[in-house]
Amino acid sequence: MPTKNVTDERLSKFKNKGKDPAKLREKRITECVELRKAHKNESFLKRRNLTLSSLPDEEGLSPDHLSAETVTPASMEEIIRDVNSESREAQTRGCQAARKLLSQECNPPLKEIIDAGLLSRFVSFLSMDDEPALQFEAAWALTNIASGTSWHTQQVVEHGAVPAFISLLASPMLHISEQAVWALGNIAGDGSAFRDVLIECNVVPALLARISPDTPVGYLRNLTWTLSNLCRNKNPFPPLSAVLQVLPSLIQLLHHSDKDILSDACWAISYLSDGDNDRIDVVVKTGIVPRLVQLMNHEDLSVMTPSLRSIGNIVSGSDVQTQMAIDAGVLNILPQLMRHKKASVQKEAAWALSNIAAGPCNQIQQLITCGLLPPLVEQLKNGDFKTQREAVWAVTNLTSGGTVEQVVHLVQIGALEAIINLLQVKDAKVILVILDAINNIFMAAEKLGETEKLTLLVEELGGLDRIEMLQNHDNELVYQSAHNLIEKYFGDGDIEGVKVDTTQDAFAFQSPDVKRTFEF
Amino acid sequence: MELNDANLQTLTEFLRKTLDPDPTIRRPAEKFLESVEGNQNYPLLLLTLLEKSQDTVIRVCAAVTFKNYIKRNWRIVEDEPNKISDQDRTAIKANIVNLMLSSPEQIQKQLSDAISIIGREDFPQKWPDLLTEMVTRFRSGDFHIINGVLRTAHSLFKRYRHEFKSNELWSEIKLVLDTFALPLTELFKATIELCQTHATDINALKVLFSSLTLISKLFYSLNFQDLPEFFEDNMETWMTNFHGLLTLDNKLLQTDDEEEAGLLELLKSQICDNAALYAQKYDEEFQPYLPRFVTAIWNLLVSTGQEVKYDLLVSNAIQFLASVCERPHYKHLFEDQNTLTSICEKVIVPNMEFRSADEEAFEDNSEEYIRRDLEGSDIDTRRRAACDLVRGLCKYFEGPVTAIFSGYVNSMLAEYAKNPGENWKHKDAAIYLVTSLASKAQTQKHGITQANELVNLTEFFVNHILPDLKSANINEFPVLKADAIKYVMIFRSQLPKEQLLQAVPLLISHLQAESTVEHTYAAHALERLFTMRGPNNTTLITAAEMAPFTELLLNNLFKALALPGSAENEYIMKAIMRSFSLLQEAIVPYIPTLIGQLTHKLLLVSKNPSKPHFNHYLFESLCLSVRITCKANPTTVSSFEEALFPVFTEILQNDVQEFLPYVFQVMSLLLEIHSNSIPASYMALFPHLLQPVLWERTGNIPPLVRLLQAYLEKGGASIAGSAADKIPGLLGVFQKLIASKANDHQGFYLLNSIIEHMPPESITQYRKQIFILLFQRLQSSKTTKFIKSFLVFINLYCVKYGAIALQEIFDSIQPKMFGMVLEKIVIPEVQKVSGPVEKKICAVGITKVLTECPAMMDTEYTKLWTPLLQALIGFFELPEDDSIPDDEHFIDIEDTPGYQTAFSQLAFAGKKEHDPIGDIVGNPKILLAQSLHKLSTACPGRVPSMLSTSLNAEALQFLQGYLQAATVQLV
Repeated sequence: MPTKNVTDERLSKFKNKGKDPAKLREKRITECVELRKAHKNESFLKRRNLTLSSLPDEEGLSPDHLSAETVTPASMEEIIRDVNSESREAQTRGCQAARKLLSQECNPPLKEIIDAGLLSRFVSFLSMDDEPALQFEAAWALTNIASGTSWHTQQVVEHGAVPAFISLLASPMLHISEQAVWALGNIAGDGSAFRDVLIECNVVPALLARISPDTPVGYLRNLTWTLSNLCRNKNPFPPLSAVLQVLPSLIQLLHHSDKDILSDACWAISYLSDGDNDRIDVVVKTGIVPRLVQLMNHEDLSVMTPSLRSIGNIVSGSDVQTQMAIDAGVLNILPQLMRHKKASVQKEAAWALSNIAAGPCNQIQQLITCGLLPPLVEQLKNGDFKTQREAVWAVTNLTSGGTVEQVVHLVQIGALEAIINLLQVKDAKVILVILDAINNIFMAAEKLGETEKLTLLVEELGGLDRIEMLQNHDNELVYQSAHNLIEKYFGDGDIEGVKVDTTQDAFAFQSPDVKRTFEF
Repeated sequence: MELNDANLQTLTEFLRKTLDPDPTIRRPAEKFLESVEGNQNYPLLLLTLLEKSQDTVIRVCAAVTFKNYIKRNWRIVEDEPNKISDQDRTAIKANIVNLMLSSPEQIQKQLSDAISIIGREDFPQKWPDLLTEMVTRFRSGDFHIINGVLRTAHSLFKRYRHEFKSNELWSEIKLVLDTFALPLTELFKATIELCQTHATDINALKVLFSSLTLISKLFYSLNFQDLPEFFEDNMETWMTNFHGLLTLDNKLLQTDDEEEAGLLELLKSQICDNAALYAQKYDEEFQPYLPRFVTAIWNLLVSTGQEVKYDLLVSNAIQFLASVCERPHYKHLFEDQNTLTSICEKVIVPNMEFRSADEEAFEDNSEEYIRRDLEGSDIDTRRRAACDLVRGLCKYFEGPVTAIFSGYVNSMLAEYAKNPGENWKHKDAAIYLVTSLASKAQTQKHGITQANELVNLTEFFVNHILPDLKSANINEFPVLKADAIKYVMIFRSQLPKEQLLQAVPLLISHLQAESTVEHTYAAHALERLFTMRGPNNTTLITAAEMAPFTELLLNNLFKALALPGSAENEYIMKAIMRSFSLLQEAIVPYIPTLIGQLTHKLLLVSKNPSKPHFNHYLFESLCLSVRITCKANPTTVSSFEEALFPVFTEILQNDVQEFLPYVFQVMSLLLEIHSNSIPASYMALFPHLLQPVLWERTGNIPPLVRLLQAYLEKGGASIAGSAADKIPGLLGVFQKLIASKANDHQGFYLLNSIIEHMPPESITQYRKQIFILLFQRLQSSKTTKFIKSFLVFINLYCVKYGAIALQEIFDSIQPKMFGMVLEKIVIPEVQKVSGPVEKKICAVGITKVLTECPAMMDTEYTKLWTPLLQALIGFFELPEDDSIPDDEHFIDIEDTPGYQTAFSQLAFAGKKEHDPIGDIVGNPKILLAQSLHKLSTACPGRVPSMLSTSLNAEALQFLQGYLQAATVQLV
């Protein structure tokens, strides 16, 4: 009798015989190239015309204010002259006029200001601690330029603004420091390259130093946003050392009560968890998973969305990582999110579900116990296409990793009917994934000896017609997969002979060469 | 090759020769062109000719030759030489777009194809300016050029409709969108404006509408993978204009042709597709526009005529409505009673009518009609689309829709009743409507399995179907007769049995109808009724219930085969097969007559086998005749042999390949009926069955192996006696089969039969060679299937010849071989053996090795004794190991291995599983216990000590269970 371990190992081999489980039950992460509009509810990469929370009241320079103020904007010549003058007063006036121009809603003259060579002047003003007004106006002007395209941001960085802004973080004047936070956020939001330039210049400790129990909420919002941009972007990811520096503060911020802070902190976590299992590990090790799950229940969409995304990322990781999310109760919240009124939330929830369904059968069982199959089938039937696509993956993953009983249960509550209806979708990949699911269900039926029953059910549900039609599909793999299903379960499989023109009477029974030694 | 006049002249001459009808001129010219196409400048010479030649024929010929050249050579295959020089590639890409656009349409099409072939390889990376070059042409204002560009773009972009999402693909689409989307939108708007300006100029309109259709196709391709940002931002422009075009009608664009769709239909059809794409995939964004499209498409349907040219448009439009009305958030668009009534009346009912085109098919093209009507190849037809819409509407409005249709059905039936001769088509539509309304789920095997409860199917049957079936004149209104028969057929699972029984004799009489569709449907309906299951897994309709009709049924079925057009009617032949199978011994009295008719038919079709299904059922019917008759009286087998062998001989002599596998199966069936000896007629054939040519055809292998097995079983001794010189040939077949991964199990079937049935002395001289061959195969290519078969074989050998013989033959081939096989093959792999008989053979064989082989007790093999016992207990108790190593998935296996020939192409030629051990060993576990007991009494003390030192505790427990059950004890 083999020992217990050997038996277990063998039994595990049985479950997915004939296929590579890793290949079929893919944990899926989103791809990079997008044709769609950027997600409307995601956080901004760069921001302009924010109201500084810490702006002293008497300054009263909110953008609303600006429009009223700038009835007669200064001309570019005046600005150039003033900024380049040696008089502090003129410089301040020039910077302010430039900043106002740059703050206008439509077509701010970013390029004109850059071409006029004013950036190096602005940057030099940043270090004038004894001229806070000038410092502030210059910082604001640069912030607005950095909020433009990559090229604009690049100009700001190349003129040496990064170290100057980082020093400015320590300014005793809260509004100046906040302006620096904002500018740095815009630079970090440009992409991996400048983000890492900032990190190289030690922006993280300088930012974190500003977090204290007394930091005003408004300031903290901006700071959280900037931190989130420092966590953002892949290829490459932010360096691990920086991530480890930021994480404790992010965890702290995730317990704040302000929804904007929560939102950006969640986005930061979602960026950090959007990667391979090692990246996810760094996040889950902080013990933040239960809090994230809790935030998935947040009433505000801006908090719920990124926390759902973060958890979605985490369950795309290893089985252990997924289990942490399950233990934190994610499966109790997902049903209501699957039925959320917003299609984008349904889609994210279904995506998370599809990845949990790619896990081992005990996780699948938990998913079933928590009542996720009914909303899954509802989405397959009536959901938005993007949600249906994710839901289809969930079905395929479940049918390939689940036990026979689990697969039967899924079929009984209507998933087979729903995916068969979806065979008419205009998306080759979805069709292929459905055909895989149908094949998996047939394998389960074979184990139960109910292949014929399933064949009839598929036909009754109109599946046979649809699969037959797919044999005309232009996509080779779809065609092949449909053809295989028909051949295997619905066909009569004619065998055609091959013509050979030998005319011997018999085969020779040849005495083989006995010299060689056999070794098996 | 220089680009000069002389070469152009030569090329012109050869191109002209390639058009010559005389192959002796044409072929050498084609050969010559192929031989020079590798030269630099060859493609440029072709381009020059297609542009500048004075002769239009040569220009077109050069264009076609150029396209084919590109098709063959442009792709650069890894590790193969680049077949077109880089200079030529660059020159082609630099000129082809211009050339295409300035050429007449015939040449333009060829060049456009060539561009898309090049584009598939080079675009976008290696052809970066293609798009901008194309886009600039939009501004040319010349729609001949613009349509060329659009056509090319369409062939470049249409693959976005079926390829999988990937970063690479999406990057390309993104690039295309960045350059192409805005100009395309501008062009779209401008073209629509031009349509208004030129609303009275038919020639201008034709060109403009082809542009609009191409633009709409491009829209579909570009929007297929996902909703691009650009199109989301410009949805208003596109959808408003699409909507406008959908509602547009221009008398000038209406065509007289009834069959071919016109420009307006093509455009609107594509717009329906575009709207359906958005409704399905981008519902959230498209929602504001959807109601408008529903209304427009519905109006379109109401105003479109019955002509065939509108079929695609109408079925696309209906399918759009069908997909929308199922969605919960659009249900309000349909729920108003007036809306529903209007859809039913104006969209569904008109599209269910029997059209003149259907009538023509019914009369003149019955095969096509049956395929469409019975086998569901009616996708894309109006009727099918209308049915789908009924089903879609029933999801939310089953009650109201059923009520509305009941009204229509009644009024149509009333119309029919007024004047059947004139209005029979109304009844056809009424039956079709009832069918589509009532059927909710359907399979070929059971017909309709779920019906709308609001429709009273039985009442309709009694009032409207039965009268037609009963009508005295079976040839009157054949369409309605066919409808009635089909009604019985598809609702068979829903109708009460007494109604079905009432229908059976009526169906039998319709077998005599002149209309091919009608008598075919009657045969098919009977065949389906005979396959229905009743209680206790018997047939619903029993042979006893059929007794009064048996003779008429058989008569009419065979007479139907004589009706014009039905000589090889597969439905009738299948009904014959099914009738035989249902009636069983009731057919015996008729067989002497029927077998003659069947063999006659076989002789006829064997001259030119063309209907595979017909032929298959013919052979099945033959098998049934043999089985049923010989079951009652085995001696009748010789009369079948007498009737069949002349035809079989002819088939074998003429080498009718399609029929050989069938003939071998029927012969196996016949031979297996013989009690013990083998008739001389079979023996005469034996040498021929060993001919290599037969074994080269894969389809022959399973039935031939089965036939040889039957020969061995019935005549092992005869072969050894009178055909001993054929034994090497027989083993040669084994050797041939064993060499193939796909057929090795067949080789083992044969070998096992040889071992089991041949007198041992007749094969003594070959035994060693057999084993060496197996070992060689084991060494060179060890697959799971081979190992399983190998294990069954060596254990069968052990059962037959004894464990000592097995050990000795192994060790005579190579010292210590026996131990190696036990250790490397038997112990680790036995768990994989599947099948009850196979498992029993292995269990008994291993038991013998353990208990009847002295070498296992007293030599270095002793160390394998306990592991082997442990493996055997595991074999008894553990689940079967059905894992297969990864690298074995792609072996081409046509058959699943088992001890028996699993090949059963003819269902009614099968035989029951053969168990070479039989009842001698009832329970192998008991046998193991008893054999161990015997061994332990022979050498007291040794067995318990071997068990206690190294047998795993769990296994020991199981073993004690066996000993207890056998009531023996080890000493």
